[in-house]
Amino acid sequence: MGNRKKEEGVKKESIFERVPKRKITRKGFVKLCGIGVGSLILNNSLFKFAFGQDEASTGRIVKKIKGLHDLVVVRGADPYLMTVKAIEGIGGMEKFVKKNGIVLIKPNIGWDRSPEQAANTNPQVVGALVDMCFKAGAKRVNVFDRTCNDQKLCYENSGIEKIAKEKGANVYSPDDWNVIKAKFNYKSPMEGWPIYRDALECDTFINVPVLKHHGLAGLTLAMKNLMGICSGNRGLIHSDIGIKLAHLTDFIKPDLNVIDAYRVLTRNGPTGGNLADVVDMKTIIAGIDPVLCDAYAAKLMNREPLSISSIDQGLKHNLGSADITKADILTITI
Amino acid sequence: MKKLVVLRKFSQIFFLLLFIYILWFTTNTAAFFKTDPLVSIFGIFSIIILISTLIIGRFFCGWVCPLGTIIDICGARTKNMDFNFVQIKYYVLGAIVVFAFLGIQIKWIFDPLVITARFISLNFIPFLTLILDKLFIFLIKSLNFYAPLYDFYRLLKISILGVKIYYFPHSLITLSFFVIVCSLVIITKRFWCRIICPLGAIYSVIAKFSILERRVDKCVNCMKCKINCRMSAIKEDMSYRKSECIVCLDCVYDCPVKGTKFTWPVKPIKPKAKDSISRKDFLFLIASSFLLFGFKGVEGEAKKKLIRPPGVTGEREFLNKCIRCGNCMKVCPTNGLQPAIFESGLAGIWAPHLVPEIGYCEYSCNLCGNSCPTGAIPKLNLAQKKEQKIGLADINKDICLPWSQNKECIVCEEHCPISTKAVKTYDEIFDGKKIKKPYVDASLCIGCGICQNKCPTRPFRAIKVLP
Repeated sequence: MGNRKKEEGVKKESIFERVPKRKITRKGFVKLCGIGVGSLILNNSLFKFAFGQDEASTGRIVKKIKGLHDLVVVRGADPYLMTVKAIEGIGGMEKFVKKNGIVLIKPNIGWDRSPEQAANTNPQVVGALVDMCFKAGAKRVNVFDRTCNDQKLCYENSGIEKIAKEKGANVYSPDDWNVIKAKFNYKSPMEGWPIYRDALECDTFINVPVLKHHGLAGLTLAMKNLMGICSGNRGLIHSDIGIKLAHLTDFIKPDLNVIDAYRVLTRNGPTGGNLADVVDMKTIIAGIDPVLCDAYAAKLMNREPLSISSIDQGLKHNLGSADITKADILTITI
Repeated sequence: MKKLVVLRKFSQIFFLLLFIYILWFTTNTAAFFKTDPLVSIFGIFSIIILISTLIIGRFFCGWVCPLGTIIDICGARTKNMDFNFVQIKYYVLGAIVVFAFLGIQIKWIFDPLVITARFISLNFIPFLTLILDKLFIFLIKSLNFYAPLYDFYRLLKISILGVKIYYFPHSLITLSFFVIVCSLVIITKRFWCRIICPLGAIYSVIAKFSILERRVDKCVNCMKCKINCRMSAIKEDMSYRKSECIVCLDCVYDCPVKGTKFTWPVKPIKPKAKDSISRKDFLFLIASSFLLFGFKGVEGEAKKKLIRPPGVTGEREFLNKCIRCGNCMKVCPTNGLQPAIFESGLAGIWAPHLVPEIGYCEYSCNLCGNSCPTGAIPKLNLAQKKEQKIGLADINKDICLPWSQNKECIVCEEHCPISTKAVKTYDEIFDGKKIKKPYVDASLCIGCGICQNKCPTRPFRAIKVLP
C-alpha cells in the first residue's frame, strides 16, 4: 500500500481517492460471507421464535348436548322469525350458550354477492342468532369467514357485517398468522392443517351454512361450510373432499347447525350471480347432528343423501346418522 | 416575519400529509393530479394554480409540492451552492413537449407529483403497514395479549392497515429512483427543483411575469440571503431571478436589518429574458430533438404481451396515456395490479399489469379506472366492467390435477365469477369414480384470473390467463 501511494502521490487527487481504499483479502471475504450467513440464520431463528410458534390441537371437546328434537324444520316468510322458532324448537339457545361464554357464528360469506343472489347466508338468519346468543348471556359473539373474493366487498355486499355489527357481534377477518395446527388420533389427510384459533377457542360453535349447488361437492352444506375456518392452500382440500370434510367436522364438532334454505341457488353454484337460478324454498333447518342436517337438506334438493361424498364419509366416521326416516323431526309452519 | 416562514413550513407539511392521506385512505386518488398542469393542462384546478402563479410566483414549489417538501427535509443539513444550470429544466420540459408531439409520453419519468405518488403507493405505504402489522403480531404473540390488544389490532386492520398488506415485488426500482431524486440534495439544496423538474419549469416560465416581487430596502451586504437561498435565485447585486424564486421567504427571515420584503410592485419592472431559455437555445433544442425521431420507427407497434387493467384497448395508446403514478396499483383490492419492469419493453416500464398469482381482477370492482388521473384506464361502470375481456384462461393439462392425476379438484370452476361459468366441466369415469375435468369456454371467459389465483397446484398453476 505504502509504495503505491508514493508512486501516485504526484497525481492530482480525484473525488474517488477521497474514499478510503479497502483491500478485500481472501480471508476477509470468507469472514464477511460467514458473518452474512450467520446473521441470516440468527435472524431467521429470531423470526421463527417471534412469529412461527406451532401450536397443535386435537380439536374441540364435544359437549353431548341433547336437543328436544333431532331436527327442527321451519317454513315461513320471515327468516328472522323462522330462525328464532327453529332454535326454540330445538330447546332454546340457553342449551348451547353458557353465561359469559364466547360464541362463534360461522356463516357463509364467501362471495361478493347480494343476499338475493343466495351465494351467502341470509343476513337475517345471522342477525337472529346473534340476538339470541346475547339474550342467552353470551359475553362475546364472533362472526367471521375466510372469503374467496375480496374481504371487504364480501362482508359489505352480503349484508352480514352490517346486521351483525348492529346487534353487537364482532365481525372481523381471520388472520393467517393466528392459527393452530390440526392433530388427529388417526391417520388423516388433514393432519397439520392450519385452523384459525378463534374457531377452536370458543365455547359454542354455531355453523350457519347456506344451502346451494356446488360443482364438486354436489351441495354446499354444514360440513362444507367448515372449510371457512381453514387457513392455508384450501384448494387442496378439494381432492378427496368427502374424507377431508368428515375429518374436519370431527375436529371442530360444531355444537349447532342452522342451514339457511330460505333462498336456494340451484345451478351454477357456489358463486351463482344469476337470479334465475335462485329458488325460494323458505325453509330453515336446525339440528345438532351435522350429518343429519345435511342429509335432510340434500333430500330437500331431491338428491340422494349418500350420493354426496361428505355425508357418505360422515356416516362412515360415525359423525351422525343420515337416516331421515328414523329421526325425530319437528316441523313448524309459520 | 418568522411567522410567515413557520406558516410556509406548516403548509408544506400539511400538503404532504394531505397527499399521503388521499393516497392511503381514499380511492379518489386522482384528486391531486388535477392540479398538475403536466398531467391535465386544461383542468380547472391546474388553470387556477397557473393563474395564482402569475400573481404570486412559484408558490406551488415552495408551499405545496410534496416532493419539494421531502427534498427540503432531506436537504435540511446539506450545503448550498451557487448553481447556474437552471436552463436544463427547460430542456427537459421542451423534450417532454416534443416527445408528446411525436406520440411518446415521457413525463412519467420527470413529473414530481407522479414520482412522489409512486413512491408513497408502492414503497412507503406497504412498508409502513408491514412494519406496523408485524409489530402488532409480535406483541400479541409474544406477550399473549389476545384480548384487548387484539381487538385494537383488528380495528386498525379495517381502518388504517387494510385487511391485505400490499406487496410489490419490483418496487425496489421505484424506491431507488426516488432515493436518487432525493439524494441529489447532496450536491446542493433543491437540486431537482432547480435543475431538472419540468413542472417547476412550467411554473417558472409563468412566474417570470408574476406580480408579487421581492424588494430590498436596506442592505448591509452580509450576503446571508444569497448564501442561504435554496434556489440560488438571488444575484450578487441583491436583485433576483423571479423565475427561480419559490417564495419560501427565507431571505425575509434571514435579513439582519429587516430590509427584505415581498410586496406588490410600485411600478412594473420589465422582466429580463436572459435568465431562461434563449431563442437560439430553443431552436437548438428543437433541432436536437428531431434526432430522436428514429426512436419511434425502431420501437414499432408494441405487442400486447401483458394483461392490462380492464377497459384498456390499445397497448400503444395506453402506454402513452399512462403516467405510472401507481394509483391503480394502490387501489386494486387484491394487489394484483403490479408495475411491469421490462416485460413489455422499455416503453412499458412501471405501467400496471395484472399478475394473477398475486391477485386477480375482482369481478365487481372498477376502482382502477376511477382512480386513473389521465384516463389511460377508462372509467367504466360496474356493468360495463363485468363485460371487459382482459385475457383468456388456458388449462395446462400436464399439471391440472383432474387431467393429469384423475383427482377431484375444479377449484377454478368453483371460483369463476361468471354466472353461467366460463370454466365448464365434463364427467369422465375413472376407477369407478366420476371425475370432473375442467375446460374453458372462450366465449364467456373475461380473463379475470381468479382461477389462476386460486389454483392449488404449486409451484406452477395449472390454469393460466394469457393476454
